[in-house]
Amino acid sequence: MDQRVVDFIHALRAQGVRISLAESIDAMRCVEIAGVADKQFFRSALRASLVKEPRDLPTFDELFPRFFGLDTPPPLQQPGGGMSPEERERLAQMLQQMLASLTPEQLRRLFEMMMTGQGMSGSQMRQFIDENTTATQTTTGFQPWATRRALRELQFDRLEQLLQELLQKLREAGVSEAALQQLEQEARENREALAQQIGREVGNGLQQREAEERRRRPVEDLQDRPFEELKYQDDDDMRVIINRLAAQLRTRVALRQKRANKGSLDAKSTIRANLRYSGVPLDIRHRRKHLKPRITVICDVSGSMRAVTGFMLMLVYALQDQISRTRPFVYYRTIADVQADFQQLRPEDAIRVVPERVQGGPWQTSLGACLEIFTRDHLDAIDRRTTVIFLGDGDDHMSPPNPRAFETIKRRAHRVVWFNPEPPYRWGREDNHMHIYAPMCDAVHHVSNLRQLVAAVDGLFS
Amino acid sequence: MFNTIGDVKAALSAQRYIPSDEIATTVFLAEKLGKPILAEGPAGVGKTELAKVWAAATGRELIRLQCYEGLDETKALYEWEYAKQLLYTQLLRDKLNDLLAGVTTLAEAADRLAAEEDVFFSSRFMLPRPLLKAITSERPVTLLIDEIDRADAEFEAFLLEVLSDFQVSVPELGTIRARHQPMALLTSNNTRELSEALKRRCLYLHIDYPTAEQELQIVNLKVPGLPPKLAQQAVELVQRLRGMDLKKHPSVSETIDWARALLELNARHLDRATVETTLNVLLKFEGDLQRARRATVRDEGDRARRERDEFGRPRRDDESGRFRGN
Repeated sequence: MDQRVVDFIHALRAQGVRISLAESIDAMRCVEIAGVADKQFFRSALRASLVKEPRDLPTFDELFPRFFGLDTPPPLQQPGGGMSPEERERLAQMLQQMLASLTPEQLRRLFEMMMTGQGMSGSQMRQFIDENTTATQTTTGFQPWATRRALRELQFDRLEQLLQELLQKLREAGVSEAALQQLEQEARENREALAQQIGREVGNGLQQREAEERRRRPVEDLQDRPFEELKYQDDDDMRVIINRLAAQLRTRVALRQKRANKGSLDAKSTIRANLRYSGVPLDIRHRRKHLKPRITVICDVSGSMRAVTGFMLMLVYALQDQISRTRPFVYYRTIADVQADFQQLRPEDAIRVVPERVQGGPWQTSLGACLEIFTRDHLDAIDRRTTVIFLGDGDDHMSPPNPRAFETIKRRAHRVVWFNPEPPYRWGREDNHMHIYAPMCDAVHHVSNLRQLVAAVDGLFS
Repeated sequence: MFNTIGDVKAALSAQRYIPSDEIATTVFLAEKLGKPILAEGPAGVGKTELAKVWAAATGRELIRLQCYEGLDETKALYEWEYAKQLLYTQLLRDKLNDLLAGVTTLAEAADRLAAEEDVFFSSRFMLPRPLLKAITSERPVTLLIDEIDRADAEFEAFLLEVLSDFQVSVPELGTIRARHQPMALLTSNNTRELSEALKRRCLYLHIDYPTAEQELQIVNLKVPGLPPKLAQQAVELVQRLRGMDLKKHPSVSETIDWARALLELNARHLDRATVETTLNVLLKFEGDLQRARRATVRDEGDRARRERDEFGRPRRDDESGRFRGN
């Protein structure tokens, strides 16, 4: 059972659920205490100790039945139940003969298991599969395909033919037809069970390889690479990088706030601190001026911008504890409030689904119209403490520039900042309207790689 | 205290709280392992209430720490009572004079004073805040740390020592260990991500809105006088509201409030007028209210039409009916 729980934890990790060693130890203790008799309690115990994010619950719910569910393949049975002793003798004899001359080896083993009902344990089966098939896939999504392939490599379909041969021989040896039919039936059931077991072990193998693969991959420092070259689909690496950057930013911000005694005098605290100097104010205390920014991010999600938008939003969400409120919007052909998506999904998953909310195709960005809609419907996302961040290249293929709406936003906001991945010499060319908006912003940052993006985000906290 | 998960369920039920299997198991594990529970979920599903009934069920005192932005150690853990210290120094001046009588050198006077220093930095002058109270308590307690997500990240880091080892360090006194390990429950409304380190130390409990069946049980338990049919209708309406796209969905506590309101108004069944006048107990935003009203009117129209169908009479508003039906 312990092994099964460990396997389960590995599988959860492979699916991106973060589980520390301490938590897996807790899980073991919880299982010990809750017991395995009642499945509901067992499940709750594992869930309480392993899953700490609501968004990981679906993963848990999906994997749990696979490991502890009832869909374990049925055990093999010994065929030949309906035969008389001498018939059974003959069966064993014939089988021995066939097995002796049967090649290849793996097919011989399979046929033996099918006809004698003596199967293998899970790990034996896994070893058997690993030795006799070539594994190329490392993602669990390929399980059905990999199972079919493994069955083919094991020449599983030849079992039927072998069974018919054996039956024919037994028939010639005078075994009764009824017994033969029963034998055939039982052998077929065994074959199905074997196929299920193989499928399961192939799946487990894939999960394990996937987990290992994840562990092995080195994380390179990608800070200076331009965004277009970053492999945006690689969730895990991104998460590692982003978390590391967020941690850096966080310490930097904390240090700056500690050093900067810019707040007003804290009289109470000063009196208290100076009691030990009998009331002579040697040690002046200040109230911490620690206003967390409120951020409204308005992101372009057109094809060229998607990578940088993804990184930006992930960074913002990694820094949630430094920000008092975040409102994300995305625009393309139209604009949409995507806060709900970010509340329900992991940021990296949310980024993948939000472009669907603002249907658009190539050359369909209409920034001006989107600004108009924003000022009409979403101005409540901005108050005087809000920093509005525009993240976009400033291209607009469908509508004229809209400085009036931009001005409205600026008037309401604390600050308006624009992050633009396009180099400044392209601003104002062709359909680009950046040169109109840029002078109205409080700050414009050119962000073409992670280092620049981090520097720009850092600016928000000072 | 509890031997099986069933015991936990029974004990919590005895306190008029209906625990799901999930809740009962987690509380049981927390009792056995001595680990804190981190309860997350939407507002008003009974996270704080769980701490109260847990304390009541085990006969422990409940100590509550409400978190907010800017909460720091001096408000959560302890503070020296400077005023009291000063007062004592003044009052004890004569005594001090006696103590120092006959001393000739300055060094000797300092030594004598130093020997008495402990008097002023002792627990007598310490003002215990909830965390220290929970740790130094003579009897076992339940510690509720409410809305931890409102506190700053630094405070969260500070909590780690308290929650994993149940001890606190006071520089002047040394480390204070808990006599009885308090059972801790942290609640969070998920307004921000909590740190991994904190989550790792806790058992995680996600409390969601109850199912219709559970909610009906809760309403029956909390508002016993309500006619069963009315309770059923009320819960159905609340469940339907939760399915709608609203700014804030009605919580369980609001369902209970509403049920009480219906009881007070002596309502027999949920007609349109009753719903209209009392809906503001459930929904707290004007936009939500209007949307819900439109929906109930529409539903009623549908029902009326269905009833006519049952009696076999011809439908008059065929067109609009088909349109709305879609």
